[in-house]
Amino acid sequence: MEKIKKYIAGTALITLAIGMGIGCKKAYLEPQPLSFYEPSATYTTVAAMRAALAACARNLRFEYYGGNPPILTEMLFTEIAVEGTTDKAGPAQDLNLLITPDLVEFNNDDRNKIYVYWDEGYKGIKYANTVISRIDNVTYASPAERNAILGAAYFHRALRYYKLTHQFGDVPAIMKEITAPSLEFYSTKREVILNKIKLDLDSALLWTSDAVNRGEVTKGAVAHLLTKVNLALGNFDAAITAANSVINGGTYSLMKSTFGSAAPPTTVMPGTRTPVPLPRNVIWDLHRPENKSVAANREGLLMIISRFGDGQFNTGMTIMRQAVPFWGSNISSPTGKKGTNDNINPEFIQSNLYGRGIGRTRPSDYAQYDIWNDPNDLRHIPGNWMKMEDILYNDMGLKTSGDPWYLKNLQLRNVNGGLICTDTIRSWFGWPHYKLFVPDFENSPMQGGHTDWYLFRLAETYLLRAEAYFWKGDVASAAADINEIRIRANCAPISPSAVNIGTILDERARELFFEETRKTELTRMSYLFAKTGKAAENGKVYTLARFSDENYLYDRVMDKNNFYKKGVVTNYGAKYTISPYHVLWPIPTRSINGNSNGRINQNKGYTGFENNVPPLEAIP
Amino acid sequence: MKKMFFRPQRAKFSYCFGLLFLCTFLLLPNLFAQNNRTVSGVITDVKKVPLQGVSVVIKGSARGASTDQNGKFVLSEVPANGVLVVSYTGMNPQEVSITNKTAIVVIMAEGVNTLNEVVMVGYGTRQKRDVTGAVAQVKATQLENENPQSIQDVLRGNVPGLSVTSSPNAKGGGNLLVRGRASINAGTSPLIVVDGVIYPGDLSDINPNDIATVDVLKDASSAAVFGAKAASGVILVTTKKGNGSKPTITFNTNVGLAKLAMDEPLYDGPGFVSWRTAALNSINANARPFQYDDPRKLPADISEAQWKAYDNSNPTGDAVDIWLNRLRMFSIEKDNYKLGRSTNWYDMMFQTGLRNDHTVSISGKKEDVSYYMSANHTLNEGFIVGDKFSTFRIRINLEAKAAKFMSVGLNLQFADRDESQVPVSWQQMVNASPYGQKFRPDGVTLRDSPNDDIGNNTNPFLDNTYQNRLQKSNTLFGSIYLKGNLPFGFSYQTNFTPNFEFFKFFNGRSAKDFRVSVRRGVATRRDQSTFNWQVDNLLMWNGSVGEHRMDATVLVNAEKFQQWNTQMENEGFDPNDNLSYHNIGAGIKPVISSNDERSTGDALMARFNYSFRDRYLLTTSVRRDGYSAFGLQNPRATFPSIGVGWVFSKEKFARAEWLGYGKLRASWGINGNRDIGRYSALSDLSTGKYQFITPSGQVILVSQLFVNRLQNSGLKWERTESYNLGLDYSILKDRISGSIDAYRRSTRDLLINRLLPDVTGFTNVLTNLGEVQNKGIEVSISTLNMKRQHFTWRSTLNFTMNRNQIKKLYGPTPDYDATGKVIGQSDKNDVANRWFIGQDIDVIWDLRVLGIWQQNEAAEAAKFGVRPGDFKIEDLNKDGKFSDADRQFLGYRNPRSQWTFRNDFTFNNFDFSFMLYSNLGQKEEFNQAKNNLGFVDRQNSYQFPFWTPENPINDYARLSSNNGSANFNVYRSTSFVRLSTVAVSYSLPPSLLTRANIQSLKLYLNVNNLAVYQPNWNFWDAEFRNNPPGDRTVVPPPRYFTFGINLTL
Repeated sequence: MEKIKKYIAGTALITLAIGMGIGCKKAYLEPQPLSFYEPSATYTTVAAMRAALAACARNLRFEYYGGNPPILTEMLFTEIAVEGTTDKAGPAQDLNLLITPDLVEFNNDDRNKIYVYWDEGYKGIKYANTVISRIDNVTYASPAERNAILGAAYFHRALRYYKLTHQFGDVPAIMKEITAPSLEFYSTKREVILNKIKLDLDSALLWTSDAVNRGEVTKGAVAHLLTKVNLALGNFDAAITAANSVINGGTYSLMKSTFGSAAPPTTVMPGTRTPVPLPRNVIWDLHRPENKSVAANREGLLMIISRFGDGQFNTGMTIMRQAVPFWGSNISSPTGKKGTNDNINPEFIQSNLYGRGIGRTRPSDYAQYDIWNDPNDLRHIPGNWMKMEDILYNDMGLKTSGDPWYLKNLQLRNVNGGLICTDTIRSWFGWPHYKLFVPDFENSPMQGGHTDWYLFRLAETYLLRAEAYFWKGDVASAAADINEIRIRANCAPISPSAVNIGTILDERARELFFEETRKTELTRMSYLFAKTGKAAENGKVYTLARFSDENYLYDRVMDKNNFYKKGVVTNYGAKYTISPYHVLWPIPTRSINGNSNGRINQNKGYTGFENNVPPLEAIP
Repeated sequence: MKKMFFRPQRAKFSYCFGLLFLCTFLLLPNLFAQNNRTVSGVITDVKKVPLQGVSVVIKGSARGASTDQNGKFVLSEVPANGVLVVSYTGMNPQEVSITNKTAIVVIMAEGVNTLNEVVMVGYGTRQKRDVTGAVAQVKATQLENENPQSIQDVLRGNVPGLSVTSSPNAKGGGNLLVRGRASINAGTSPLIVVDGVIYPGDLSDINPNDIATVDVLKDASSAAVFGAKAASGVILVTTKKGNGSKPTITFNTNVGLAKLAMDEPLYDGPGFVSWRTAALNSINANARPFQYDDPRKLPADISEAQWKAYDNSNPTGDAVDIWLNRLRMFSIEKDNYKLGRSTNWYDMMFQTGLRNDHTVSISGKKEDVSYYMSANHTLNEGFIVGDKFSTFRIRINLEAKAAKFMSVGLNLQFADRDESQVPVSWQQMVNASPYGQKFRPDGVTLRDSPNDDIGNNTNPFLDNTYQNRLQKSNTLFGSIYLKGNLPFGFSYQTNFTPNFEFFKFFNGRSAKDFRVSVRRGVATRRDQSTFNWQVDNLLMWNGSVGEHRMDATVLVNAEKFQQWNTQMENEGFDPNDNLSYHNIGAGIKPVISSNDERSTGDALMARFNYSFRDRYLLTTSVRRDGYSAFGLQNPRATFPSIGVGWVFSKEKFARAEWLGYGKLRASWGINGNRDIGRYSALSDLSTGKYQFITPSGQVILVSQLFVNRLQNSGLKWERTESYNLGLDYSILKDRISGSIDAYRRSTRDLLINRLLPDVTGFTNVLTNLGEVQNKGIEVSISTLNMKRQHFTWRSTLNFTMNRNQIKKLYGPTPDYDATGKVIGQSDKNDVANRWFIGQDIDVIWDLRVLGIWQQNEAAEAAKFGVRPGDFKIEDLNKDGKFSDADRQFLGYRNPRSQWTFRNDFTFNNFDFSFMLYSNLGQKEEFNQAKNNLGFVDRQNSYQFPFWTPENPINDYARLSSNNGSANFNVYRSTSFVRLSTVAVSYSLPPSLLTRANIQSLKLYLNVNNLAVYQPNWNFWDAEFRNNPPGDRTVVPPPRYFTFGINLTL
């Protein structure tokens, strides 16, 4: 009996086990995703389409946030700034040596961010194309809802292509969502892409609205970008029309008086450690983190939002680290001792007022002296603008040794006129404190914390319209637009006879530091000089045929940027150089290599140009 | 699962067949009684010491017995003309004919001939003699004196064709690679099988003291029974089983020391000052003479006033102050310099760690129950301060005979692993100034930075002091089985193998750490649990007709994996973060996330072995596998194999006195690789948060969505087809034996992350493309060099050589001429990934370093934007620029050949052994030669040579050298020879022990990593990496001294 029981038990067990094996039919092997969303099942609702647009919006952050932000790379190819890291090889200083297709593969803070613009640019295009290609997979409450979403996606795609075509020239034009591997891409002519995005933006202008949250695409932003695209195409009247729709639309206006409740600018008197408040002014208020996205602020057309609590760029913008001088080093007191300390251990923690800068973004003499020719300019008054002499000697070594220079203002030279700062490139320059000062509650010492940022601001729209008028020859209207900006900043107006591209660029430099993508704009203007044959203020006439050999950008940089002009050599021995062909950046070798069945063209002046094939004349 | 059990059975034929067979034979009683007798005997070694646990099997049957602690056995129902096969690990087996005998005495001799060993072949065992594939076995018991701390230690150097990397951590371990890298993007770790079932857990959870043998299946034929998972080889671990009627209790206890094995000194205070002087002279292109030198030692022609005027220093200022300021020293550095007080950070990073490893086991066999139980506690301190590892492991192996035809068993393993260690950040010691200090003036609070320069160097003790971590894994791995013999030569086995893993990672970064002080503390809690199970049903048969012997195995298998992961993070703890991660809700910025995964698989396998006259051997198998990661279109794949063997030494023409044994083997087979992410074939959407501001000024969180991965529904198995030719030999009366294998493995349909043009917005897509080939030879020679009455000396030499080559990549694409016309087709290299057709996967393709630009070459150097002292790079196409056109093949990262030489000596009761091994021909990046890593003007440095005009060397650059426009690495050979283990042991003579009722008592002493010779490498030990192959950072190497006692009662 016992034995039989065992037999039964054994048989049952084995039957059970084999039964499990039989259970394994094909359905058993279907993969079941548990913790992630799957595209075709997900992009079917309005909410998902909006989430796809949020990806486009979030992608805008990469340009201004994080270590060595890409915007600096845009700046250092122009007359306003250079890379200021002077203690090693690698930073983009000797551009002739270091800007090669091979070396732009890095997303490396010690080099340049050309590749990041390329890579993130096409990521943004991918996000936008997802919305555009799937727009009709969703049922909307109204056609207007659909169009508003499509219009925003058109804007995001157009913005990326506007930058890419001015950074890199002819580039692959991808206007559809990619759902299967493809390795056959060809460059498309820049004008073809610009014409396509102009059409898209024309539609978007009809569809988008200004009654949206800050951070979302506004009608104003669409019109602003359309102004730029029309300018790039030489459609000056269309550019003026687009700009008018923003300026005269009623939604936006320049902020002309103080607003908001931000703390006022301050200064520290020598011998003390406590900041003393200075009077508030509109320029200061306009750039306070707490004021940028408030309803009272009518100047911002498109905002990048970054507040405490979200996942990306967790520790803030770090703008003070990037663009404030490396004032904690290389500065001696006139008594020959270490003068400054940017850490958090001195009694006077000066880094809480200015941040711990590393002097990576070094303004040129043009940007910190030459353009500040109006003594009343609010953008350059004490409290808004910082000079090195406003900083105090604060190293504790001075205090402990009873040195008389403790808590005195910095000196560049000793009594005999000798330099006592050992690295004036990196450690000695002035900066627009009203823009860079972003209190930081996550890093110690402060590096520049969370803040929103203006991607498009009405002040630039005025300057774009001024430019359009100038190209048309209407210098009076151009001067009027420039003066809107100047008068708001408490400057004297300029006369129509003074208006040229150079003076417009000067005003842009004063107003749009760390906001505008300056190299993109200069390249756009260089194209226009070459296309229109209009003589530049330097008397030169340029042609498209020799664009990479002679262009406005290069001549302007060599005229205004003292570093490239003089071939300044850093302490490390790196020489600042630039060449005409830098008007277009090199296509990264990695990107050309990865496209093994097609051909992405290289720009003239760079290795690999000889392998080019004629660019496409239409969107593929 | 329940549902599955009782699902209506619309079974396929094969299943029914199996079921029918099993049921039929289960219900048949054993009808065949035999007219036989009982045999008993004693088995001893040559010293007449009784051997316990010797296997005595009736030849031609599965029945047998094993000896008790007195070396005795009793075996009933032995056929009258039977032959008993007596085998014991490490001894030459014997066949004893028992015609007319009922009592026998067998003396066993230690053997070097491994041919008679029983090896695991996957779902069964075979005698090595009968194997047709390339199988290598390591007997862990023979390595006892060396006290291996992990399976990796057991295998390292002991199996030709298997490379095992070394880890510097207290945990130990390393990565395993069989016969070269065959896959580009899928995993290359071999499949681990423990006691016949696939082991998904962490290798460190297996107590090496529990291991009896480890078998490595290297060729496709032997591994084919594991089909889809076997392409990277299979490692079969067999744990100890109980035998002997009296319980055997073994204590193995050892204590050891971990020390830094090699010095890589940093500059001390004065050395640091002169190095910094040289660095600043080199950095500052326009440095004035002696500008950075000690003003008290200026040459006569430079006055102090002139020297001060170089940078307009205060003429009345203190010259030393000015000098130290020029050297960029901070206040504390200056103070300490003047006081002559410096800190030796280097010595503070390393310690003599204490290691403890204790195992107690009890095993035996009582009537129908055999048991083996062990408990182990390991507590290791590393040689890096703060590095620790501890684990508590239990194993229970039980087997009971439930009926004549059925045994039930359980192999259970539990581990409690603690990896909460937060070692000091030893890498920071290079940044820390020797004139900095560890503590603030109060003497107890850590400084944020040794020299108050937090932008560049942080205190190496910050993490160690301010991170509160709990990282624990509890794993329970078991196999419950049922097996037995059936009539007509059939037998069966059913395994159910559950595996549970519970993982916790709780970490709190204290607000006292200045890096998170303004965030008021940061804490993480991660919980992950895993449950996976497998079921194997096996039916086996063996039989013989005349001189034909056959056996067959059929397997039905199913598996399922499930994992649940939950994580929460928070920061901004209020009122303070004193509760660390214990009160995660007290923060203000909670982030929660989760990730759950699931996969399923199944398999059918059949194997057939045939031999004729024990001379002609055939093994063939086929396996069909299913796996959900490929479930969209290709859920299943089939993997066949065949192997043949010929024991030519049994042929008449080959009978020679010197030739003891010779067998030729040939095999072919296909294995699969499925080692990719469970969802890699699917497209997924990345989620995250962004913020908008409403018109009323409120911040709202919005979700973002974008396509992160391109779908590839056609994704399928990677297939490795291999050919193996082998020779097993034993000559000169077993004085020399071993094997030679040659193989070629072609991996096709590689699971490869194909690079996509970045304009797509995707970096790559996982797809099946290309072909990689590995071919190589493995030679193993074991010799008995000397055999005297009291002395024996044995050696083993292993040699391995593997060559790897990419044969195909993405398939032909059009070629164009200069005008854009198509002129043909070819398969293109993937230059972006550095994969080249015809080259090794790990080939180095880079710019060639020619040497250093010297003083007389300044003008030439300037053309490349550099100056004397910088590296001179070959401009291959002479265009004055550096690009891919200048890149060349410069060598290989993988060893071109490897050898191991092991020697074992026995002198009376002493055993002595040592092992040497060597990797030859591989290269590694040595960018330290550039002397420009980090901020040379703000930190300390290792003592590397550097170029100066006065020291115009050609292999190291000047301090803070300039790479110019060249994107290059410096490479050096990392060939080495290592004396890896030296072990000595003393066994007390049995005569002393028997009175104390002790079976054996052994004392041993060993040293691990005693010496290394690496002629071309001088930055730590090139073999020791944190986490190869991904992380190639070279780290300090450990050396272990161990003293242990092994006591058996």
